[in-house]
Amino acid sequence: MISQPRAGKSIGRFALSEKTLLSIKNLKKVFPLQGEELVALGSVSFDVYPGEFVTIVGPSGCGKTTLLKIIAGLLPKSEGEIHVDEAMFDPTREVGFVFQKALLLNWRRVLDNVLLPIEILKLDKKKYRSKAMEMLELVGLKGFENAYPNELSGGMQQRVSLARALIHDPKLILMDEPFGALDAITREKMNLELQRIWSESKKTIIFITHEINEAVFLSDRVVVMSARPSRMVGAVDIDFPRPRKLEVRTTPQFGEYAVKLYKMLEIT
Amino acid sequence: MGKGIKTFIKNAAPKAFNFLLFLVIWQLIVVVFKIKVFILPSPIRVLQHLFYPPIAAKYNWWLHVGATFMEVIVSFVATAIAGIFIAVMICWSPVMNQLLSPIIILFNSLPKIALAPLFLVWFGYGFLPNILVAFMVAFFPVVINSAAGLMAVEEDLLDLVNYLNATKAQIFIKIRIPNSLPYIFAGLKISATMCVVGSIVGEFIAADKGLGYLLRDAQAFIDTPTMFACLFLLSIIGLALFFAIGQLERLVMPWNRRREA
Ligand SMILES: Nc1ncnc2c1ncn2[C@@H]1O[C@H](COP(=O)(O)OP(=O)(O)OP(=O)(O)O)[C@@H](O)[C@H]1O
Ligand SMILES: [Mg+2]
Repeated sequence: MISQPRAGKSIGRFALSEKTLLSIKNLKKVFPLQGEELVALGSVSFDVYPGEFVTIVGPSGCGKTTLLKIIAGLLPKSEGEIHVDEAMFDPTREVGFVFQKALLLNWRRVLDNVLLPIEILKLDKKKYRSKAMEMLELVGLKGFENAYPNELSGGMQQRVSLARALIHDPKLILMDEPFGALDAITREKMNLELQRIWSESKKTIIFITHEINEAVFLSDRVVVMSARPSRMVGAVDIDFPRPRKLEVRTTPQFGEYAVKLYKMLEIT
Repeated sequence: MGKGIKTFIKNAAPKAFNFLLFLVIWQLIVVVFKIKVFILPSPIRVLQHLFYPPIAAKYNWWLHVGATFMEVIVSFVATAIAGIFIAVMICWSPVMNQLLSPIIILFNSLPKIALAPLFLVWFGYGFLPNILVAFMVAFFPVVINSAAGLMAVEEDLLDLVNYLNATKAQIFIKIRIPNSLPYIFAGLKISATMCVVGSIVGEFIAADKGLGYLLRDAQAFIDTPTMFACLFLLSIIGLALFFAIGQLERLVMPWNRRREA
């Protein structure tokens, strides 16, 4: 993929396709908290285009997890709009969610944990067995399909949850700091794998991370959120050609992107 | 398999040794202090009552053990089935919860054993009233534990299936019920002990056979060795049931077994 000239402000080459997969306008979320109100999301707006890799960064507690949960339909919004293009994908079946915690069912073996979405969606489990094995190989867990979760390390558990989020071939994947529990080397490997999965399968990914380098390396666009009550501070388009190699991180341009993001996060 | 037997022997050997040591000390105390047999019979005396044919033949051990064992097993299985079923109903439907919870709390606050004389009036002598007493005593721990287990699911685990729009039935079968298994087994273990208690109390009050009946009968004649023999058999029944539940637990929850190993 070769990056194309930018159109408009902070929307990137995907604006050329015009139709948004997901459009969020002035989204607000208030939690009741001991008689008072906790504004988790102040006013959040952004668009996601089909096939785009968008990363959201922001300080801890600014509502990133809350935002993903509202998109996934796990939490009701307080105000604002979420528009989903249902012609492009079915939001009830074609979403994959990688949670901040691994959340494996400790009574199921690894393979059956990966197949959980298939069971919930009442798809043919037999058909997906070999795909589940492939997914496990992809995340580097070949040979562990019959292990129980409590026999795995934290990083391995998180990789199982990644395989589980991909098994039903979702169009939109929501990833909440999926690699936070991994060691640096595995994390880099997973970044490369994720880029490969994403570009081969034409999925759309909304990704959350604390790691600026990870954000720049993976994304087409990085969206920055402020502290609570959170709003969008801005966005940075990342114009590196794909597929990106890890070496891209040593280029001056990469550093410039990172500095820009640090400035937006007010860490300078 | 051979390995399993080996570890079993390795685990059981010290326990068996301790038990033997206990019997030896008991025997010594009785002999040395010349304790009268109607106060404390020696273990050899007790074992003679159970196994030495000329003495044991006077007692119909199999009949009594069989009667008590049946009562314990039947009441235990009944508490397990009814307890888990009602717990599922309570957690499934808020209406059921509001309907059943007050009744359960009310009955649970009752000293259930006090119902035994009433059951005698209603159902006469024998099997049925004894099972009912055992059931009443042992039922509530199963319901309460199972319901607690079904409710005690991490909110995040529900998110995991809810974003795929899981049905209520799916959430029960795939998340709530497996998650509650450790709680259910904890309830069943309490129930097993209580079923033995309930059956014996039933037999005290209204029975013509069973170890509880025999205990009271022997008491009338101050036949202490027979009473001790009954206690010995009762503890064997209790232990056997406990062991069986433990095996079932390992079978049903293999993921816990691995962690132990
Ligand atoms: N269910 C809830 N009830 C009340 N308050 C909540 C709830 N969930 C989240 N919050 C609050 O909303 C705010 C945002 O939480 P959220 O988990 O979305 O933050 P986050 O950006 O994901 O943080 P982190 O980067 O540490 O994961 C926090 O202040 C949190 O305390
Ligand atoms: Mg979070």
